[in-house]
Amino acid sequence: MARLAMLIDTSQCVACRGCQVACKQWNDRQGWLYSRTRNRGSYENPPDLSPHTWTRIKFTEYEGPDGFRWLFLKEGCMHCGDPACVAVCPTGALKQHPRGLVTYERELCNGCGYCAQFCPFHIPRLEVVNPLTGEAKSSKCTFCQDRVTNGLLPACVKTCPARALDFGDRDEMIAKGQARVEALKARGYTQANLYGVDQVGGLGRLYVLIAPPEAYGLPAKPEYPALVSVWQKVVQPLGGAAIGATILGILGAFFLARRNIRMEEVK
Amino acid sequence: MTNHWVDLKNADYILIIGSNAAENHPASMTWIHKAMNERGAKLIVVDPRFNRTASQADIFAQIRPGTDIAFFGGMIKYILDNELYHKDYVVHYTNASFLIHPDYKGPDELDGLFSGYDPEKRRYDRSTWTYQTDADGKPLRDETLQHPQCVFQIMKRHYARYDLDTVSSVTGIPKDLLEKIYKTYAESGQAGKAGTILYAMGQTQHTVGSQNVRALAIVQLLLGNVGIPGGGVNALRGESNVQGSTDMAVLAHILPGYLPIPTTADVDLKTYIERKTKPGGPWSGGYWTNGPKFLISLLKAWWGDHATQHNDFAYDYLPKPDSPINHSWIPLFEAMYAGKIKGLWIMGMNPAVCGANARFEREALKKLEWMVVQEIFDTETTSFWRAPGEDPSKIQTEVFVLPAADAMEKAGSVVTSGRTIQWRPKVAEPPGEAKPDYQIINLIALKLKELYAADPGPFPDPILHLNWDYGQELDIEKVAREINGYAVKDVKDAEGNILAKAGSILTTFGHLRDDGSTACGAWIYTGYFAPAPDGFGNMLPAAKRRNSVYDPGGLGIYPYWGFSWPANRRILYNRCSADPNGKPWSKDKALIWWDETQKKWVGYDVPDFPATKAPTDPGGRDPFIMRTDGKGGLFAAMNEGPLPEHYEPVESPVKNVFSSQQINPVIKIWRTDEGKDIGDNYGSPDKFPIVATTYRLGEHWQAGGMSRWSDWLVEAQPEMFVEMSQELAAEKGIKNGDKVKIKSARGEIEAIAIVTARIKPLKVNGKTIHVVGLPWHWGWKGLTYDMGVKDMVQGTANFLSPHVGDANTMIPEYKAFLVDVEKA
Amino acid sequence: MIVQIKGKPEFIQIQWVPRYTTMERVVHWFHTATFTLLAITGMMLFFPFLQPLAQGQAGITFRLIHRVAAVIFGLVPIIYLIIQPRRFLMHIKEFLPKKEDIGWLKAVPAYYLMGKHEAMPPQGRFNAGEKLNGLITIIAWLVFGITGLPMWFGKGVIPPELFRWLVIFHDLAMIVSVSMFLVHFYLAVAHPLMWGALVNMRFGVTSVEYLAEHHTKWFYGPKRAMEIWEAKKRESVH
Repeated sequence: MARLAMLIDTSQCVACRGCQVACKQWNDRQGWLYSRTRNRGSYENPPDLSPHTWTRIKFTEYEGPDGFRWLFLKEGCMHCGDPACVAVCPTGALKQHPRGLVTYERELCNGCGYCAQFCPFHIPRLEVVNPLTGEAKSSKCTFCQDRVTNGLLPACVKTCPARALDFGDRDEMIAKGQARVEALKARGYTQANLYGVDQVGGLGRLYVLIAPPEAYGLPAKPEYPALVSVWQKVVQPLGGAAIGATILGILGAFFLARRNIRMEEVK
Repeated sequence: MTNHWVDLKNADYILIIGSNAAENHPASMTWIHKAMNERGAKLIVVDPRFNRTASQADIFAQIRPGTDIAFFGGMIKYILDNELYHKDYVVHYTNASFLIHPDYKGPDELDGLFSGYDPEKRRYDRSTWTYQTDADGKPLRDETLQHPQCVFQIMKRHYARYDLDTVSSVTGIPKDLLEKIYKTYAESGQAGKAGTILYAMGQTQHTVGSQNVRALAIVQLLLGNVGIPGGGVNALRGESNVQGSTDMAVLAHILPGYLPIPTTADVDLKTYIERKTKPGGPWSGGYWTNGPKFLISLLKAWWGDHATQHNDFAYDYLPKPDSPINHSWIPLFEAMYAGKIKGLWIMGMNPAVCGANARFEREALKKLEWMVVQEIFDTETTSFWRAPGEDPSKIQTEVFVLPAADAMEKAGSVVTSGRTIQWRPKVAEPPGEAKPDYQIINLIALKLKELYAADPGPFPDPILHLNWDYGQELDIEKVAREINGYAVKDVKDAEGNILAKAGSILTTFGHLRDDGSTACGAWIYTGYFAPAPDGFGNMLPAAKRRNSVYDPGGLGIYPYWGFSWPANRRILYNRCSADPNGKPWSKDKALIWWDETQKKWVGYDVPDFPATKAPTDPGGRDPFIMRTDGKGGLFAAMNEGPLPEHYEPVESPVKNVFSSQQINPVIKIWRTDEGKDIGDNYGSPDKFPIVATTYRLGEHWQAGGMSRWSDWLVEAQPEMFVEMSQELAAEKGIKNGDKVKIKSARGEIEAIAIVTARIKPLKVNGKTIHVVGLPWHWGWKGLTYDMGVKDMVQGTANFLSPHVGDANTMIPEYKAFLVDVEKA
Repeated sequence: MIVQIKGKPEFIQIQWVPRYTTMERVVHWFHTATFTLLAITGMMLFFPFLQPLAQGQAGITFRLIHRVAAVIFGLVPIIYLIIQPRRFLMHIKEFLPKKEDIGWLKAVPAYYLMGKHEAMPPQGRFNAGEKLNGLITIIAWLVFGITGLPMWFGKGVIPPELFRWLVIFHDLAMIVSVSMFLVHFYLAVAHPLMWGALVNMRFGVTSVEYLAEHHTKWFYGPKRAMEIWEAKKRESVH
């Protein structure tokens, strides 16, 4: 089955925060009662993703070659084609759905927090029940796995009044995004670009941007963390091999020693 | 709106001025984006700050609050000088060719005034503003538009002073940007192109608010944009169903359907009708000549069998305000403040936060003997008596709070800005004892009838005879049927054929009669609740229809979706979409046209014109059927003049450069307790050098009574803030995120500073003027306060705004006043 | 003490000599218990085949055990340091490697696999292998602490890029120390020649014969031990 993706056209986004609220409503997340936000000199609130904020809008005032632009970015899990979080999750709570969503089975999560530390975009957030015991659950955007697998659109996409969000076959979303970038360039948005086509195995969250990714706070060249490969592909097998070899070595040594040493000789 | 929401997708040029459509009407972006993406429409946004709507614009200009007439005046001059107007449209469909009274003089000659001004009464005698007429009373015209006293030439002279340099200096918009905007928007004057102007409170909430709208309407008429797809004069209404509330006349000066309310000068029905229908009166020409039918049908609806030929249809039962009428918001609160009002009944409104000069209005509430508030949540108004700093033991007002059901908890109709009435079902139960507002009113009405029956007093008839048969538990559909209108007796045409049988629900206001045979609660709505085809083979009350498939012409008309008053017309004045011979000006914008074979108007929309009147018939080229002369009024009398003229806001940092008339010469200036801490105080630029404007955000709703109880919305916008330029912040030593104090002559509040590149200082008349922006959603009561968090910044912006309003509507000047700012 | 080996008629007289202090033994056993718990609960997050144990409430519980054990694991040597600072420092010095430890390494296959007693040079209170074990234990303790504490308390404080390195080193330390532990366990419990070790660690005493045989340098002193070894070597050649 074809891979799914979300196309976020930041040029059409008006930062109404409908998506931010719709996500909380569908996923039973809290707002101020959890985050106790204050105004820090911006419309941007809450100031970060959290266990109760799986998507939010980042506001950036940008002076570029085409003049002043107010950039809006809908932040959230990128649903990478090569998800580092899935690779490092020790419980298998994080999984990659056959259609590309990086899904999450909350009951399996043991709160170790590896996903949060290894994500190249710093997305998953731990909901810490007790910092001493470490009891926690990870949380992030799931692309509304319950809705999408039942033929519905994610809550944010359904809500967006500016029609800046779309969701569907990834190839179609890429084509749509590329067409939009061309149309924007023709309208004078010289820095328009499509983000997410190839990075980290191709992202499930594609962005039509009107400024370079760094202007939005996105990593220009995000990569699958090398240490994940080192860890999963080198250290883990090595560890298993080393300990296994040790055990075998010990067994071998035991039998050898038994043959050569008689207890009677021992004083 | 003269057009409607979906129609925005047909526009080639969209000018948003005095509106923050993306934040306050987010759904409109669907259609604006469609226009931009699918037909390459250009979006121009003009606003005192670069807001979220501006983020979408192809061209943005920052304008000094209160200078919209200068802006539009400059555009009018540009259009006239460069002959960018739609010539045939202007000649045939507007009063450009009409000759004005020879003694008429305008501000170009009279230093900012029009002829007929009485400086003591602060009023105009309009006799020199009339048309020159022939012996039969028909206006004289010059279709070559050359006669010096024709409207066209008068306009040219009037706006000659609005050259680019002057307008740039007054508005603060750089000259080249101004010209770019004018040039771009004026391209919509070509046949086949449509320009739409979207406006809201940024235009209306000024002492010259009505003239602001007049100015943009003139632009639209000159460019031939009224009555065509993608065009129109489009007010984005400020609240959900405020369109319905004005239609149903929740206003002091009209009855439902915009009928003028009878005053004490209209001593009886005969006098009322005479005064309305006499030459020069509002019902003297055009479709309004049917006015008497609408009024009498209304009286019949209200007093039923007790409204007959013999008692003037219960005309005497109507309460009548004194003339001239002024019971609008500001005078109401002034009267309350003076102790003249014993009791106040509030339904879903929060004056303690939304009222101009809010400290004054909160004081006014204290003078009431009793107050009833129907509300969904506890607000600053329901709890005005225990606001921080108040001593409840000193406040004598007895407050009754009636919990009300919210919009989802009751069935009923909602009308959009585009006049589309949609019926909404009830989808949730109200909590506890909360009841729909109409049920509360129902219970009170029934109780009043009981009380008056038991103890009649001198004149109980208006109450006792009131037709009130909706049930103990009010049946809203019964009310809907009455508003729609029904036949009391058989309705017949001139030949005696029966058009509507007695008891049947009416399908058109064309069947309304002035002989008591019809009853109708609001003539403009007739047809909205009558069974109508929905395009899927069903008959339902028109407002309940939801056919989003059938769209003749692809213009987004969707005639089987809801009901657009009047008569399900989606685009008003659509006669204008066809040339004087009945052919569409262009194929791209074809809407209706004259069919010579069928001898009637056909097309994609219900013609806003007598269906069988040919273009060559008398009146065949008079598209503005509600006006006496049938033409679009470029020159049209209102309280401060027949043409918009720039005056500065009551509080302004600079002198008016167009004339020595600093402010609107006919507005009422209130001076109650002037000089006291709480009172009608006005500030001068030496003490308050900064221009402030107020506005709303996408995240909160009006006075915050609903949204500041929502966990998610409070998280997104938790505190009151003030937006200011980086330059002003540097001057005052304010950093982004600092707490600051803002004060005006009327009060002082705290806010968090948002220091932004989206507001720049303006160069006005050679001076640097700073502008700050204040959202007005906050007050002390809400989720955070009730959770014990008392240190969040929740200042009420309207502590700062002035208690002075427009000369025609009295709407307060929320959008332009003076303040000063300093670090807290 | 007189003991009789099961199945044999002889009685053997054993003379016991103290070798490990009470503190050493307490520290050792606490360390053993916590290390085992830490290793097992830690490995659940490391080896994919242990995934079911890491999941859900079970996983949360095991992570809790890991932390509780970690606290004790970390505190025990520190308590030793606080209560017996001089002995602690002496003890640490004993583990430091010396040049002659290479001799032990070279003798490993001959001694432990083949049982050739003469191959092994004289050893001190701790033979070089025990020193290696101790050193690895100490270094691992440090690495576990330095990586583990930020992994526990530093989420959101230290940069994720640093966290990732800490995980890698925590895992490397685990691999090395668990491997070492397995060898240690074998030698302490199962190896025929090392019968005295377990008794020793439990009761603190070793038999004279055992000491004379395995920890010659400590029992006799370095000079005499060397002479005995030279003699043994000469004997075996014949």
